[in-house]
Amino acid sequence: MNPAGSIWNTLREIVDPELGCNIVDLGLIRSMTQSGTTVRVEMTLTSPGCPLGSALESAVESALLGLPGVEAVEVRLVFEPPWSIAEVSPAARAQLGIPVAMPSAGSATTLTRSAAS
Amino acid sequence: MAKCKHRHPPEAPRITAANAPSATVPLRFITAGILALVLAGGWLVAKPELLTRYHYGPDAVAFAHLVLLGFAASVVMGVLYQFTPVALDARLHSERIARWQWWLHLAGVAGMVWMFRRWDMWQVGQFGLVFGLGVALFAWNMARTLAHVPRWTPVAFGVASSVGWLLVTVLAGLFLACTKLWPWLSPFAPLAQMHAHAHLGVLGSFILLTVAVSYRLVPMFLISSVQDERRAWWSLILLNLGTGAAAVTIALESRWKLAALLIVLAGLALHAIELHAILRTRMRAMIDCGMQSFLTGIALLAPAAGSALALCWEGLLPAAAVARAENVYAVLGIFGVLWFVLIGMLGKILPFFVWFHRYSGDIGRTKVPQLAEMYSARLQEIGRWSHLAGVVCGVAAAATDSMPLATAAAGLLAVTIAAFTFNAARIFSHLRHPASQTGEPPLAGIPLSP
Repeated sequence: MNPAGSIWNTLREIVDPELGCNIVDLGLIRSMTQSGTTVRVEMTLTSPGCPLGSALESAVESALLGLPGVEAVEVRLVFEPPWSIAEVSPAARAQLGIPVAMPSAGSATTLTRSAAS
Repeated sequence: MAKCKHRHPPEAPRITAANAPSATVPLRFITAGILALVLAGGWLVAKPELLTRYHYGPDAVAFAHLVLLGFAASVVMGVLYQFTPVALDARLHSERIARWQWWLHLAGVAGMVWMFRRWDMWQVGQFGLVFGLGVALFAWNMARTLAHVPRWTPVAFGVASSVGWLLVTVLAGLFLACTKLWPWLSPFAPLAQMHAHAHLGVLGSFILLTVAVSYRLVPMFLISSVQDERRAWWSLILLNLGTGAAAVTIALESRWKLAALLIVLAGLALHAIELHAILRTRMRAMIDCGMQSFLTGIALLAPAAGSALALCWEGLLPAAAVARAENVYAVLGIFGVLWFVLIGMLGKILPFFVWFHRYSGDIGRTKVPQLAEMYSARLQEIGRWSHLAGVVCGVAAAATDSMPLATAAAGLLAVTIAAFTFNAARIFSHLRHPASQTGEPPLAGIPLSP
């Protein structure tokens, strides 16, 4: 079993090459669960037709398979609810220049992530 | 949509964007386009009078075809081969057809430009047929691809119409070449039918496509969304109607061309309103240089439309001023709108294509560069300002028939092309000399942030 914190930190090393922010702070990882040596990740994209989708999906698989104790990775792309600004962390907001007045995080998925990390 | 992978895949896989063809398909067209742009820049420096001289002559017509077919059409075709499958969720019908088309495209454009310079209309027609065959293959490939689009959106409609107008433009061009050999074929005045042909291409194929793809690319890069899809639909419908009406009324030298222009302006106004709404609701505050150039090109549609209005309004301009006003219109349209939009969009798209081709399989395994690290933003900025200054000088040169200003404009535009080409070369260099740190341990081994 791998500590959840190290899995989240590994995911944080994956940076969206266009936006320059990591995919966790961008709110693209909806949830992560681990059972035995299998890690299941639910992720989304900033828009359903995002051309980087396949690369990011593959990056998550590759990065997690590099962790000790992880034998299988299951990545599921979800678009409901659609990605929104509410899922972006304060650090990524500052990097993207998103105004503070925009709605802030508070959804169940974000809580899952916070609790896990 | 869940995928399960087991540990230790042997080597970095070659990932492509969903439905995307091999990156070599768009990149070969884009490379050809950049080469044509460099040639056009050199030609302009050698002959800055192209900006002021009357446009119905061998050099000007050859130069226009080098820019419009060699640069613009090459880039547009390359981008559409990638954009249509990825953005509209439909696999490209045939990469093989696209590769064949590239050869026909190269041979056709090179031959046409060369023969226009010699004003050998028989040979122009021959090479035009080669180019036209390529466009027919392109249109067939696009039509078969678009037939599988799951939802018919404004973007899909705009791409389809633009490809349709490109085909009509080529047919009109071939007809024009025939009328040079057999004048009895045409009921139209030679200059009028040439202007109609040019408007079919620039307005129907290029501007319509710019409007359509802006509804996808601007929201994607700035993290926003189309705010009113009905408005987007209407902008494209009006542009289609306006293009058809403009071509017919220009060819017939009818005074109704003013009405046609007003339809086009209504379409552009709706696009401007929608674009403003998209920009207003964007989540990404910073607009980078590539996107600024793209938006500058769209903004330059306003003065270009103003000069079109002045030319359409009968009696508004004294007869002596018409030729100069036509040159101003052409400078704004070609070096302003067209170059800004294409150079701006290439500034965003080219790094993406190369990144995907070179690094998509490495992300998650090693550190890979970000798109903004693949080129010099400073050089992009220099290119943008010299471009803007070049367009202002070019317009002033065309309006006053001034050779010193034309020379200055050509020099400034050459600086823009040099900056753009240097950046493009830097981006392409990643294909041979990747910047990913393959010697590093996998990401999971990198010290983790707290």
